[in-house]
Amino acid sequence: MIVTKKALPRRTLLRGIGAAVALPLLDAMVPALTAARATPARPVRRLGYVFIPMGSDTNRWTPPGEDTLEQLSPILRPLEPHKDQLTVLTKMALKNAYPGTHATSNSAYLSCAKAKLTESSDYYLGTTVDQVAAKHIGQDTQLPSLELGMDLLEIVGQCDDGFACVYQNSLSWSSPTTPLPYEARPRNVFGRLFGEGSPEQRAKTLKKKASLLDRVKSDISRLQGELGAGDRAKVEQYLDSVREVERRIQIAEAGVANGPRPDIDRPIGVPAAYADHARLMFDLQVLALQADITRVITFQLAREGSTRSYHEIGVSEPHHPLTHHGNNPEMVAKMAKINEYHVSLFAYLVDRLKSTPDGDGTLLDHSMYMYGSGMGDPNKHDHINLPILVAGGGAGTMKGGRHIRYAEQTPLANLHLTLLEKAGVRMDSFADSMGKVDELLSI
Amino acid sequence: MLCALHAQRSDPHQRFVGQYCTACHNEDVATAGLALDAAALRPVPENAALWERVVGKLRSRQMPPLGATRPDESTYDDVVRSLAAALDEAAAVRPDPGRTDTFRRLTRTEYQNAIRDLLGIELDLSSLLPRDESSSGFDNITVGDLSPALLESYVQVADKISRLAVGRPVPALEVERVNIKPDVTQEWHVDGLPLGTRGGTLFSHYFPLDAEYEIVIRLARDRDEQVEGLRQTHQVELLLDQRRVKLFEVVPPRHVGNHVAVDTHLTARVPVQAGPRQIGVTFLQRPWSVLETDREPYRAHYNVYRHPRVQAAVYEVSIAGPYNPRGPGHTPSRDRIFVCRPDGAGEDESCAMRIVASLMRQAFRRELSEEDFDSPMEFYRRGRAADGFEAGIEMALAAILVSPEFLFRVERDPPGLPAGTPYRISPAELASRLSFFLWSSIPDEELLAAALRGDLTQPEGLERQVRRMLADRRSQALLTNFAAQWLHLRNLESVTPDMRLFPNFDDNLRQAMRRETELFFESVIKQDRSVLDLLSADYTFVNERLAKHYGIPHVYGSWFRRVELDDDSRRGGLLRHGSILAVTSYNTRTSPVIRGHWVLENLLGAPPPPPPADVPALEDKTISGSLSVRERLLEHRANPACASCHSLMDPVGFALENYDAVGRWRDSEGGRPIDATGSFPGGTSFEGVLGLEKALLDRPESFVGALASKLLTYSLGRVVEHSDAPAVRKIVRDARADEFRFSSVVLGVVRSEPFQMRRSR
Repeated sequence: MIVTKKALPRRTLLRGIGAAVALPLLDAMVPALTAARATPARPVRRLGYVFIPMGSDTNRWTPPGEDTLEQLSPILRPLEPHKDQLTVLTKMALKNAYPGTHATSNSAYLSCAKAKLTESSDYYLGTTVDQVAAKHIGQDTQLPSLELGMDLLEIVGQCDDGFACVYQNSLSWSSPTTPLPYEARPRNVFGRLFGEGSPEQRAKTLKKKASLLDRVKSDISRLQGELGAGDRAKVEQYLDSVREVERRIQIAEAGVANGPRPDIDRPIGVPAAYADHARLMFDLQVLALQADITRVITFQLAREGSTRSYHEIGVSEPHHPLTHHGNNPEMVAKMAKINEYHVSLFAYLVDRLKSTPDGDGTLLDHSMYMYGSGMGDPNKHDHINLPILVAGGGAGTMKGGRHIRYAEQTPLANLHLTLLEKAGVRMDSFADSMGKVDELLSI
Repeated sequence: MLCALHAQRSDPHQRFVGQYCTACHNEDVATAGLALDAAALRPVPENAALWERVVGKLRSRQMPPLGATRPDESTYDDVVRSLAAALDEAAAVRPDPGRTDTFRRLTRTEYQNAIRDLLGIELDLSSLLPRDESSSGFDNITVGDLSPALLESYVQVADKISRLAVGRPVPALEVERVNIKPDVTQEWHVDGLPLGTRGGTLFSHYFPLDAEYEIVIRLARDRDEQVEGLRQTHQVELLLDQRRVKLFEVVPPRHVGNHVAVDTHLTARVPVQAGPRQIGVTFLQRPWSVLETDREPYRAHYNVYRHPRVQAAVYEVSIAGPYNPRGPGHTPSRDRIFVCRPDGAGEDESCAMRIVASLMRQAFRRELSEEDFDSPMEFYRRGRAADGFEAGIEMALAAILVSPEFLFRVERDPPGLPAGTPYRISPAELASRLSFFLWSSIPDEELLAAALRGDLTQPEGLERQVRRMLADRRSQALLTNFAAQWLHLRNLESVTPDMRLFPNFDDNLRQAMRRETELFFESVIKQDRSVLDLLSADYTFVNERLAKHYGIPHVYGSWFRRVELDDDSRRGGLLRHGSILAVTSYNTRTSPVIRGHWVLENLLGAPPPPPPADVPALEDKTISGSLSVRERLLEHRANPACASCHSLMDPVGFALENYDAVGRWRDSEGGRPIDATGSFPGGTSFEGVLGLEKALLDRPESFVGALASKLLTYSLGRVVEHSDAPAVRKIVRDARADEFRFSSVVLGVVRSEPFQMRRSR
């Protein structure tokens, strides 16, 4: 199938960069194969996972009623225009996140696994659901998955005692021992998606990279011969990384050779305002999905245990201490404001997905974005009644407009398993799953 | 059982355990999974890990819990001494140096420093390499991973650095933007810029080629796109390596509101020689500045609504180029790389070999084998064939920079050693351990040569190198990398006090706070003072900004100087530093919890235990909002699940309540007098910062032990375990003989078995 390529209008996509960039424009490209593999009969399915730290105010999060999502709760109100593409799930739980910590709230969110209590390099978790998906539906794209976050600064001493910080900061794990770093700088995300420079330069750079990788590979193999059996597993992991990057470069090289590409401003710095930064990161996600550079995305809207304060919405207290509100109504209300603010940023993404055509529908039609937290009530540091919702049509597999309210606490892994299935990954179980979300199986 | 215990109660620890511990910690009850009754009957070394845990709890007086029958101080001391002696004796006979990971990749900081020392290029790679996750307090512990994203970054960075270092043509125009943080007050002089100027910025930029570059300056604007503080004419000066390049005039627009074109002429096309250059942008000080009368108290000026700028300020400096490049120029990195030049008579290859050899020896930090040359030389030949000699060298350099031998610190077991055998690491490995410990970088040729000669196996040879390295400029890494993490100074960047509550906090203050602690720590290193001075010093370092904040009179100007302090001064040791007090606070208030945790973890080496696996969710209880922080925390501790940790942390933090969230002294809060009564886990109570310091200094081996243990963690890049406790105690004992001088602690670490040795797998 031949897809006609059209230049995307400049400055409409990367809204977050602010207009005041008086710098030379660098052309960029969207691989020519944009969604070419997708046909109306078989649209590409995308999975996204957005993480928010420290749960929510359950009372203001949970919508009234069940089955049909008629009225939205105060925190979810920003999603009102997209109600028909929304599924809220109530009483989801993460058993393996206990004992209630920030570290495990983050680490269990997508793994549903128990984190080994250690601060050494022998950390052990489980493969996260996004990475399971990436292994199945991400292998045809340049990036099997894209891991994004918002926190740029290096901080120390702000992780839970006893747990290595990777548990608290890395949302995605490609194996139980491989946490993946996230990227928070728009410029780097852009570079990873589209490369830099003219097509000729890109081709040249890619060629050089490929030959350097060859070198890495032979060096690592040489090391392998010198080492004992215990260290060979590590080396094998490194070689996997090398092969993966080689694969990416090959796909990128193929992309360089193909067709016209839209002219988009490359973001240079990091927007100073949190919301601008977040929207820009969402813009980049839309771009990556639209160009079919990746089909699996994780995004940490703030790190677990974050002490960020949100002056812009009139909440000057930092997030973390606010969540230990002791049921003080004033503090709860402020925390709920933060919860709503995060949802409003997510609503921006949903909006963008909906307004982006894709095949015979929109990107939103062909995506499933789960949004939520690994903690329920942060005042109790518990992992039940998690705030969880899914937006998007899942390429005809999700109905939306629903509120699934369980009677009993139900493993979040059930939802992970269900979304995997809808994305085309069939598995019998995932982590501590006890079945699927039956209500979602029939459309 | 009891009879058996009685019969064998010869050792103090056996009597002690029977009397104070086994009621809870016995085979039947095993509180916290710990049973001591059977173990107490066996020789101590048989259960070394268990007894180290006991020593830790007793030394910090965390056990027996308050409320239970507790021994007196001398009984505590006796039992700790006797247990430690038994453990140390056993460790001396059968040392267990522990095992560092075989593969530890360089952290971003180490990578950056290695590039500086290898190629003479100082680059900020924080935007190009992912940050390192910290663990056990440091970012060099969990560094065994190599994710695809990281590997891609390494390849990309190697490509960029090799091109810059050799000075090869730049493939495309590059634009670098340097933004001044929005909360910088620009009304005063900036250290390093000419006297008679105010505001602006000074930074180092690496120019890839001899060429022209376009430098564009933009002024700070408010939300209505008006240039802030632009009320009169300003003169803006652009400097390159301290010399004026251009002087601009900025004039307020005649028509109110139209600021679009006010700064569009602040642009200069400048010829610049390749290499690192200092770019300065600043304003000439107006002689009649109104602000002069307004200096007490200090006022921050950056917030449009609360304390607007009085004069215009720089927002951004961007550098675009190279235009019309003339060549690679003369740079420190080219000097370093091109140790020879091809003579044009077909001898290119031997010169390339020499270049590769010198780079690779430093990069790989060891003697080279012939095999090592294969691949870089192949890269050289490929580049040489395509684009000439220098292109070949660029390729070879890139190949060296992506080698795992550069990216990773690899420590190999000697062949044929049975599993679990302690062995001495190789001389080259020891040189790397030393340089990454003291410099956060690769060894220099002197260290490497000394190591390969065998000097480091001699006590004098080792000490000579350590002292040389401490005196070297590169030991600044102990401040900027070790202390920055140990003391959490790194978190200062994320400290953003609430603008309404602390309207005079600005980035100038933030940086001054950091500088104070760095200079203070440096003085202890440089003068080789007792590390106890870190707590008890009667001096510190301030500039005018910080002095105003502290209320220290007669300090003027942007430069830092040492000030001697009175006995009743509220400044001096670390616990009185604004930096420490701010990083342990929230943006609206202090946090006795965080401060208490900080002291326990970093100064006492006795952090509260991680949450037990069976702790249920916190109690869902309503706590009145009108309570003070102290009262709220008291309510909180009424819950036993919370109390197990918070009863350790909170009381320590209370002692620092006289300092507010930005480290200012206060006698009252919200109309209530400050209650700065605090206590240690063991019940030792004290009053205020002085009392806390005194309590810490009363047991110097706890503080020095904590520091030694942090240094050991950092130097090994692994978690310090129970089996390392004898080594830590030895470091402290030996340092005591030398009045706990900084160098004695460092030498103790370097001489210790965990540092010198490794256990085979």
